[in-house]
Amino acid sequence: MERVVECRDVGRTYDDDAVPVHALRNVDFDLAAGEWVSLAGPSGSGKSTLLHVIGGLDQPTAGSVVVDGVEVTALATAQLSDLRLNKIGFVFQAYNLIPVLSALENVEFILQLQGLDRAERRSRSRDALHSLGLADVEHRRPGEMSGGQQQRVAIARAIVTEPVLLLADEPSANLDTSTTRELLEVLQTLNRERGVTILTATHDPMVMGYTSRQVNLRDGKVVRDDS
Amino acid sequence: MPVKLLIQLSWRNIWRHRRRNAILVSAIAVAVTGVMLLNTMMRGMQQDLRNTAIENLTGHVKILEPGYLHDPGIERGFDILEGWQNTLPDHVAGWASRIRVPGVIMSERGTRGIQLVGIDPARESISFLGQAEVAGDRLSGPEDSRILIGGLLAEALDTAAGRRLVLVTQGADGRTREAGFRIAGVYRAEIAGLEKAFVFTGLAALQRLLGTDKITEISIRLDDEDRETSTIAALAETFESRAVASWRQLEPQAAAMVEVSDVTIYILFVIVMGALTFGLVNTLVTAVMERLRELGMLRAIGMRPRAVVAQVVVESTVIMAIGVAAGLILAWCVFSFVADGIDLTAFDDSLASFGMRPTFVPVFDIRDVALIAVLSLALSILASFYPARRAVKIKPLEALRR
Repeated sequence: MERVVECRDVGRTYDDDAVPVHALRNVDFDLAAGEWVSLAGPSGSGKSTLLHVIGGLDQPTAGSVVVDGVEVTALATAQLSDLRLNKIGFVFQAYNLIPVLSALENVEFILQLQGLDRAERRSRSRDALHSLGLADVEHRRPGEMSGGQQQRVAIARAIVTEPVLLLADEPSANLDTSTTRELLEVLQTLNRERGVTILTATHDPMVMGYTSRQVNLRDGKVVRDDS
Repeated sequence: MPVKLLIQLSWRNIWRHRRRNAILVSAIAVAVTGVMLLNTMMRGMQQDLRNTAIENLTGHVKILEPGYLHDPGIERGFDILEGWQNTLPDHVAGWASRIRVPGVIMSERGTRGIQLVGIDPARESISFLGQAEVAGDRLSGPEDSRILIGGLLAEALDTAAGRRLVLVTQGADGRTREAGFRIAGVYRAEIAGLEKAFVFTGLAALQRLLGTDKITEISIRLDDEDRETSTIAALAETFESRAVASWRQLEPQAAAMVEVSDVTIYILFVIVMGALTFGLVNTLVTAVMERLRELGMLRAIGMRPRAVVAQVVVESTVIMAIGVAAGLILAWCVFSFVADGIDLTAFDDSLASFGMRPTFVPVFDIRDVALIAVLSLALSILASFYPARRAVKIKPLEALRR
């Protein structure tokens, strides 16, 4: 099966403090198209760091990271921005919507960054929101929506560009059980019906229960991969 | 990143902190109003100085015998060329040839040093004399051998229209000429000094008295001041051996004051708006620091660093543009109340020493509006440099962890 992510011997060491901190050590990790994988592990295990390295938000200090055939470690800042804009969708723990824009505008925003024309932007943004059951709130601003609705808008924003990879960092951290379940159902539908490749970093067993594969990290190393 | 999106985002961000930005916009508006109103005063003063200098028998351009300015007298007269006026450009509003000599005027009550000026009254619409109020008669033509004297001179000599005065001057042959003149009328001028200095009579009558057919000056008034230089060049060709001088050369003090006020306008603007720029920088830095997480997210989802810079620049420019627009509108409203002039007769004596009129008319110059708009835009971009640098240095990951 086609590989969307290939990590080889990836290391990430932080030298900020007097003692170097090895967040990732010799990590080998592959992600195939259409998979939904959860990176699990306790706090400080390196799951979020691996997610960020794959997403081009952090640079590894060793090894190679290839996303959709592109060597991420070789890219300049602007090229990384383009990679994130065109190939990767992000869902953050704290939703991170733009507070001065409505739900529709938040979703449309990323298509504006891509330079799409207004008609196509509107159409695709509406489709994304409607597919996530957000037709009624498209003109509401983030402050006027519930946490679950905001997270679904964030998912709509992440998938509207039809990325090759959807990265979700602790997507359920701020949600209650019932909203988390709703969110996971949405992600499952995207994964099964649209074939969206998803990588989540989580320590929530409920999230892990929905994923097709679980990779456990501890002290920056992969300790279990049930592929 | 599309400009429309940048403006939309910046506009909404400004409304996000409406109170803080309203205070800043108000400060910019008040400063712009103040600067613009001061500019209208300065422009009014410039216009007043320029008009006074030009109407003070000078015109925009004057043709003289070289050396006349340093040593005026009938010996520095010149012959008027036949048909010279045919060479004048179309934008000449009018011209007047005159003979001007120093002299002494005497009455039973006193004696004063004056400038005796021989004129063709029909041509003096280009000088203050054309609009001056006259008690008694105006001069009827160049042959009129009566005199027109100023009101203040009449008071000093304790005389009036219809009476006679004695004038002493030097003739073309170097001998003293003395003659009695009847006063046709007493004129009033807005500039008090003119009333004391100038005594007018008919050009031909004065030439007869002096024993010459020469003149000492040709004064030219233009429709379009901007064509002063080209007019001087054209006249210099016609009057090869004469001095062709602009009002700036003839009235250097007034010209210097006009130039100084120009520089003052720029300095004033830079000081006031420069101080406000620090306020703008402060607001923008605060806005950037408050939105670190949001800016980090924008970078994370693929916004390029230069788009982040553009967002801060546009936000700064929008705030400045609103403030400047409000300030200019406010300035126009205030100006419209005083556009007809401000009565400063209480300071008449002081103003006269600067060659200014007692009614001060401010001038709302559209070039100042353009100047303020362009410089404000430049300052807003300058102000956004530091906050934009802060914003672009944000690492998406660090910002998202906050």
